Amino acid sequence: MNSFAIEADALNKTFRSKTGLWRTKSKSTVAVEEISFSVERGELFGLLGPNGAGKTTTVKMLTTLLLPTGGTARILGQDVVRETGEVRKHIGFAFSGSRGLYNRLTAVQNLRYFAELYALDPVVTRKRIPELLELVGLQGRGDDKVETFSSGMTQRLHLARALLHDPEVLFLDEPTVGIDPVGSRELRTTVRSLLALGKTILLTTHYMAEAEELCQRIAIVKKGRIVALDTPDALKRRISGDSVIEATVQTANSGALLDCLHVLDSRTKIEFKNNSEPEKLCIHTPEPARVMELLSPYLNPQYVLGLEVRNQTLEDVYVAIIQGEQE
Amino acid sequence: MKLRWGLVKQQAAVQFRVLTLDWVTLGLFVLQPATFSAVGMLLAHAAGNATPNLVYSVIGGGIMGMWSQLVFTSTFDITSDRRNGVLEVIVGSPTSLVDIEALRTLNNVLMGLVSLLLAFIAAMSIFGYTLNGINFWGAGISLLLLLLGLWSMGVFLANFLAWSRISGVFVDYLEMPIAFLCGFMYPIRILPHWIQIIAGFLPIRWALEGMNESLLGNHDLNFLLIHWAFSIGLSVAFILVTRWLQARVQDSIRLSGELSSI
Repeated sequence: MNSFAIEADALNKTFRSKTGLWRTKSKSTVAVEEISFSVERGELFGLLGPNGAGKTTTVKMLTTLLLPTGGTARILGQDVVRETGEVRKHIGFAFSGSRGLYNRLTAVQNLRYFAELYALDPVVTRKRIPELLELVGLQGRGDDKVETFSSGMTQRLHLARALLHDPEVLFLDEPTVGIDPVGSRELRTTVRSLLALGKTILLTTHYMAEAEELCQRIAIVKKGRIVALDTPDALKRRISGDSVIEATVQTANSGALLDCLHVLDSRTKIEFKNNSEPEKLCIHTPEPARVMELLSPYLNPQYVLGLEVRNQTLEDVYVAIIQGEQE
Repeated sequence: MKLRWGLVKQQAAVQFRVLTLDWVTLGLFVLQPATFSAVGMLLAHAAGNATPNLVYSVIGGGIMGMWSQLVFTSTFDITSDRRNGVLEVIVGSPTSLVDIEALRTLNNVLMGLVSLLLAFIAAMSIFGYTLNGINFWGAGISLLLLLLGLWSMGVFLANFLAWSRISGVFVDYLEMPIAFLCGFMYPIRILPHWIQIIAGFLPIRWALEGMNESLLGNHDLNFLLIHWAFSIGLSVAFILVTRWLQARVQDSIRLSGELSSI
């Protein structure tokens, strides 16, 4: 048996559109370019990237909703273009926002309808709907219309809908967008419990903390291409084993701090976030002790108002990779 | 299509619930045929008829209402599903979109029967139309074929509607011309010959003439058999063309990304 649940090999997607009434012009937009990755069975894999990076387009190709213009993709060994019907039986997907449900029907009415699209046995459906509502924390709300639900509740109902036929592979496209912190945490707990049940999950998100907390491996996508792919820890090491020192400094005296740090070599990167008052000095360095030593004469309110030393986060890595790509 | 009773039931339940949520939507079944019937009678009076022709003016209004609702509800269903993201969920499931469209159209056609029934009741109770002398069998079989014709054309249009975000506009263009071509509210023989030839390609034109003539007391079996044969043949042709287009439309929308509204 193939150990990969999801395989993408040089996937491409170019959208073509026409503009103008008389002299029509064709326009091609490359949304995804040569994306390749594979996800092991039972793995939670993350796709990170800015808006318009091609994450959703990739997910839509993998879920058979879009045809690739190049490359191949397989789900559980089945080709998404040639074996569409078989692929659809084994996958579930939930996209962000309130789209994908009949808002004027109740949660149970929605789930009953979508269960029929997957040809679920009525006995199984009757048993499964309350179980899923409980799993996503919507027990007691099954007979309420979806239009009365909050964003978080709607998103959780999307997840229940995606799980109706107990799919082996789950695609979650920005599942926590627009959800409050408590709701996001609950959803993350649900995702972790699904992983414990052996599901393979592909998650796209903007939230680095979410990706860091949940994903076993992460691909960072920029302008339709994967620019980095590894475990969160390896990605952090890949940028460097740097520490980050963030100092809140008095604007008037910030020059003196910069002067004292000039002796550091090029491995240390100093960034001024001078769009705030007081200014923030962000130092990425492999030798935090040395930086602290240099800064120590200035650690008083005349120069430094606050100081934090921390390890690199995935967000630092993400920003470094995305900005590095831009440069 | 593997017909699953559960899917048939759930599809009907969803459409019925959405349609009966408010009186405005529900009123469409009454107001539209009533308007068409009223216009038909006014035109008949203006043409010098002291009493309106009940088959063409009143019952024709009901059929006009059925057709309008079919076009309206088919467009509404697919447009709102595309806007709400439900179209993606349907297409992403193992059930074929064409199967869903077929069931939806069937429900829309059957719900449209309410308009026809109301028009009949109005014709009998308000205008004194009697069933004396009508060809019951002819009218009944023609009505069934009219429903089949409406269904086959509706499925064809639904497939077309799924194809592009703007195809709803083209379908709106077709609503009145098809009603005009098929002679919903007047005998088709009064139309110019070349228009009758064009109308000859539409199954509902044949079923409708068979039904109208039966309601007017025509018992000529040959006349009816020819009309029924054309109606069945053209309905089957529409279904076959829809089946042939189905895979191409599905590939086209998955290539263009027009499954979603954004």
